[in-house]
Amino acid sequence: MPDTPAIAVHDLCKLYGDKAAVDSLDLTVPRGCFFGFLGPNGAGKSTTIRMLTGLVPPSSGSIELLGMRLPDRELEIKRRVGLVPDESLLFDRLTGAEFLEFVGRMYGLARAVAVERAQSLLDLFELSEKRKFIAEYSKGMRKRLAMAASLIHHPDLFLMDEPFEGVDAVGARLMKEILLDQVRRGATIFLTSHVLEVVERLCDRVAIIDKGRIVREGSMAELRGGTESLEDVFVRVVGAAREFHELEWLK
Amino acid sequence: MIRAILRAQWRSMHIFRLSSGRRGAVFSVIIAVLWYGFWTALAAVAEQLTAAPQLRAQIKSWLPAGLLGVCAYWQLAPLASATMGASLDLRKLLVYPVPRRSLFLVEILLRITTCAESLLLLAGAAIGLLRNPAFGGWRAFARVPLAVILFAAFNLMLAAGLRNLIERLLSRKGIREAIALLLMLVGVLPRLLMVTSFGGALWARRLESVFPTAANPFWPWGAAAHCMLGLSAGVPPMAAVAVLAVWAAAAYLFGRWQFMRGLRFDFQEAQATVASAKARPFAERLYRLPALFLPDPLCAIVEKELRSLVRTPRFRLVFVMGFSFGLVVWLPMMLRGRVTHSAVSGNFLTVVSVYALFLLAQVTYSNAFGFDGSAAQLYFLAPLAISRALAAKNIAAAIFIFLEVAAIASACSLLRLGISPGQIAETFVVTAIAALYLLGVGNLSSVNYPRPMNAQRVSGGGGGGRAQGVLFLLYPFALLPVFLAYLARYALDNQVVFWGALVCAAALGVAIYWMAMESAVAAARNRRESILAELSRGEGPMVTE
Repeated sequence: MPDTPAIAVHDLCKLYGDKAAVDSLDLTVPRGCFFGFLGPNGAGKSTTIRMLTGLVPPSSGSIELLGMRLPDRELEIKRRVGLVPDESLLFDRLTGAEFLEFVGRMYGLARAVAVERAQSLLDLFELSEKRKFIAEYSKGMRKRLAMAASLIHHPDLFLMDEPFEGVDAVGARLMKEILLDQVRRGATIFLTSHVLEVVERLCDRVAIIDKGRIVREGSMAELRGGTESLEDVFVRVVGAAREFHELEWLK
Repeated sequence: MIRAILRAQWRSMHIFRLSSGRRGAVFSVIIAVLWYGFWTALAAVAEQLTAAPQLRAQIKSWLPAGLLGVCAYWQLAPLASATMGASLDLRKLLVYPVPRRSLFLVEILLRITTCAESLLLLAGAAIGLLRNPAFGGWRAFARVPLAVILFAAFNLMLAAGLRNLIERLLSRKGIREAIALLLMLVGVLPRLLMVTSFGGALWARRLESVFPTAANPFWPWGAAAHCMLGLSAGVPPMAAVAVLAVWAAAAYLFGRWQFMRGLRFDFQEAQATVASAKARPFAERLYRLPALFLPDPLCAIVEKELRSLVRTPRFRLVFVMGFSFGLVVWLPMMLRGRVTHSAVSGNFLTVVSVYALFLLAQVTYSNAFGFDGSAAQLYFLAPLAISRALAAKNIAAAIFIFLEVAAIASACSLLRLGISPGQIAETFVVTAIAALYLLGVGNLSSVNYPRPMNAQRVSGGGGGGRAQGVLFLLYPFALLPVFLAYLARYALDNQVVFWGALVCAAALGVAIYWMAMESAVAAARNRRESILAELSRGEGPMVTE
């Protein structure tokens, strides 16, 4: 496995007007790591992932993925990254098989290889209802298809924004097993999720971001300190100051 | 509650306007000024005519027919132009405890978005009548506005009912394209009848009978005219008001009935039958034809575009319109020109093909990422240059453009319009050259004014009005080199000069396409974030079409 980290981010900033969505972010994710990136709503998680994928240009700072600098070697990086975004990247008027074949070919696979992999992924994710348009898929099916699409070109790094959102327990279990299998073969996974139990069970390392800044980072054991659950740590770090005020009219 | 709904829509539109920047706002204002300026001028003419005491007899004859025309325009124009204006998105509002009568009231108020020009005309005519002493002058101050208000209310409620009815019809598989096409043909068929020899005579007789028929006080337009003209029209104004009130009440009942049916209608169920791809081996082979001459990923995108567009109801409708609506629009000029040998009759096939090229703009090249919506981010995530994605989309658009030309040529042959193989070849060449310019402009508008498009809705896009407006302004310039080639042939009567000019136009077209592509790629790089934000944008509680 190469020495360079899978993700190396230095002093990354993203400003919208005078508001910093991401503020001086420094982050290193080693290769082969299952990394959890947590934070409350609006903390800057999705913006960070969108900067890592090149969809959003940073205001300042540097990004290196798999030892290559973004955006200098953008195309090479893209070939080796798989993404499950928070928004749909599915084309509604294609079937699942057509979509996966299309994505495979976009990533440089020959048609025959893309077709073969698409079929095996559809079987794996139990999406084999061949002639159904994606427009008819449920939210969970769409997420499963998006994950299948992120796998088709066998990437070394996965960037996943809430991949389990809307997925039923059986589907989520399957997806977790697949992701763990990918980590075992040496791939790196960078995952955001609000389901802390999932993060606790899957991730080796975790960073917590709040108001655009990393407020805690470390291995799962370091963060939990032996006794606390990840949820306790998370609430203490990002929500300790918040008090519950009862509303008179809601009593 | 009504204010809250309207405010929510206003806020969502305002946010969109802010995100589209100052340039977009300026274009919107220019287009609005041109459009409403034209109708204001027309209203001023109506005011001058109805204010002239010496035209008393003509006004009595013309006003009912004029009001009939306003009514026809009010009801048919939104259908013919495929823009049905703003409407409530009931799926978003039904979860709230909003009384249905309040929703219906908002729906009726929203019909004003499709009829501001009709209201301008009515206001112009009403002011003219109030200034005309032959019809009572300002003494008719109560009568004339009352007639205008009742007539406007009748039209508003009728339009609300028709819109709901048509929306439900258009959501049904199979009949939606047929209904939409029929509605549009209804709008242009009278022109066809007017210029055919048989239809011409028939039309003249019909036209002669329109004036007395329209003046019948039992029709809403006749009653409105009688009320506006007062006793001079021969019918007591109060009787005319009563007739008009009955019509308005009937329109209210119809509108409310259709609105309530719309509330109970399950659009998802109606559309569910569409959303299944049948196994079609022949079509599959056609989709894969580009693989014979294109490498991946270019070929993959072209194939994806072919599949997606063919399965998109809105695209199918526009494609069918291209050769049917186009033929019917231009056929009258062709038939008239057979006698006078006009430019249209000599180059009929080319004219219809170039017209179809313009029609296809909104669903193919002027907003290339529109049907993709938020999924367009895949083009930015995948390891390919965005120029490849644009080029692939252009190739797919070109395939459909050539299919459209072939369909038009086939239709012309079936109609025995005397189109020679040489003319067909010339049309293909000219359309290809014109397409070079328009695809270049389309690439620029696709990255500078992207907006999501609903594949299910068959009518056009209000949000796309600005980009359509830009294209409309640029269209004459884009066609200028081809036009100059025809001008050279007409002036010099020399085929060599004509083809030479076409070669020059093609060379210039390639250069312009290339420069536009470079510019579009730079814009896509710089505006990547806002392009994706705009394509992922949701709508407020109302949808605009």
